[in-house]
Amino acid sequence: MSKKVLVVDDDPDVITFNVSVLEENGYEAVTAQNGEEGLKKIKEENPDLVILDVLMPKQSGIRLYRALKTDKTLENTHVIILSGIAKKTFLRSQKALTEFGGEEVPEPEIYLEKPVEAEELAQAVKRVIG
Amino acid sequence: MEIRKLLFVTKFEQLWFDALQSLLDLRKTGLNHVVFLNVIEREKVALRRGTGYRKEEEVKLREMANIRFIDWAENLFEQGMEVGAYITVGDLVHQVLSACEKEKVDLIVIGRPRRGKLEQFYAGSDVMEIIRRSKTPVLVYKYLHPDASQAEKPFQRPLLALDWSPASLRAMDCLKGLKGILSQVHVMHVIDEKNLKSLSGMTVQKARKEARKRLEEVCETFESEGIQAIPHVYAGKPAVEIEKAARESQCTLIVMGTSAQVSWKERLSGNIPEALGVKSIFPTLLIPPEDR
Repeated sequence: MSKKVLVVDDDPDVITFNVSVLEENGYEAVTAQNGEEGLKKIKEENPDLVILDVLMPKQSGIRLYRALKTDKTLENTHVIILSGIAKKTFLRSQKALTEFGGEEVPEPEIYLEKPVEAEELAQAVKRVIG
Repeated sequence: MEIRKLLFVTKFEQLWFDALQSLLDLRKTGLNHVVFLNVIEREKVALRRGTGYRKEEEVKLREMANIRFIDWAENLFEQGMEVGAYITVGDLVHQVLSACEKEKVDLIVIGRPRRGKLEQFYAGSDVMEIIRRSKTPVLVYKYLHPDASQAEKPFQRPLLALDWSPASLRAMDCLKGLKGILSQVHVMHVIDEKNLKSLSGMTVQKARKEARKRLEEVCETFESEGIQAIPHVYAGKPAVEIEKAARESQCTLIVMGTSAQVSWKERLSGNIPEALGVKSIFPTLLIPPEDR
């Protein structure tokens, strides 16, 4: 059975690109267009991996990542961040949220800055879930 | 009424990131989420004879907006704030109200149109339409120091214009919720010149005395919250007098309620809050009635 990957991104072009890369490499792709919908899909679909954008309506990838990594039932979900927002900003933001009284969260397994080549994305996915 | 989430509407022409930064004082009273909205006007990408729909232009404008928003978002994310963004093509009024509904924001921040007379007539009416239809408070932002000679601090010294309507009393409650960032509030009422005609001097003085008494009671409620408040009674044309009072007291913001219903005349020319929102030189915070 093919492994399931959830793509959370508000840009329809990015979703189309990611889904086609994933399907060409034998993965099953499901999608969500913002962090709020993403969290719902994670609970419903139980994906092997989430490819997550950061700057999105309703709920950002920063908050969704935090919600995942501080939930005992979801914390082992693999995550690749794929965003135009710099990795340094993502890490500083998580640090600020921890300083405001939040739980400490681990760094994402892989952080890719947009735009990404098909090959680079496919390799990253393979590295994380095989 | 708390402001936890705001919608920042920009065309990158009249409202920049420094305007948003001047509102970050609101973090002290609960603001933790900013949503950016850029609406690409339809006519910029519309069908043209011989070229069709200008998809390439749309992509270019979207990417330009995206680059600005990423830069702004990085700044806010690093401060631990939550940030979202919409870049859409369409009608400004519809897109603003739609984003407001989807995101359930507590405040809409929009710039005043600064264009030629004809364009201002249309763009100005967009802002008026948003003020008129929004169930959410609207801050029509203006730079008090457009040359950036001083930092903007719109909530430092607001002028609360009261006409005793439910919306204006709601505006008063809104200001009380911002007590952590206000240094002083000026509270005013304008005795409309229309009501002064055919009144004796004695009756006018009586009206002033009554208004002053009510304002002093309002000031006491502010003082009990630890906010210094100063009452003012003016007489004349309300929009003119409110602007005058804001100048005389060196206020940084005009705050007022908007009415639930508008007459046909007001539909064309705008009522007092709408007119001040578009024409005043001061940032204007307009609070709609609860039942809109």
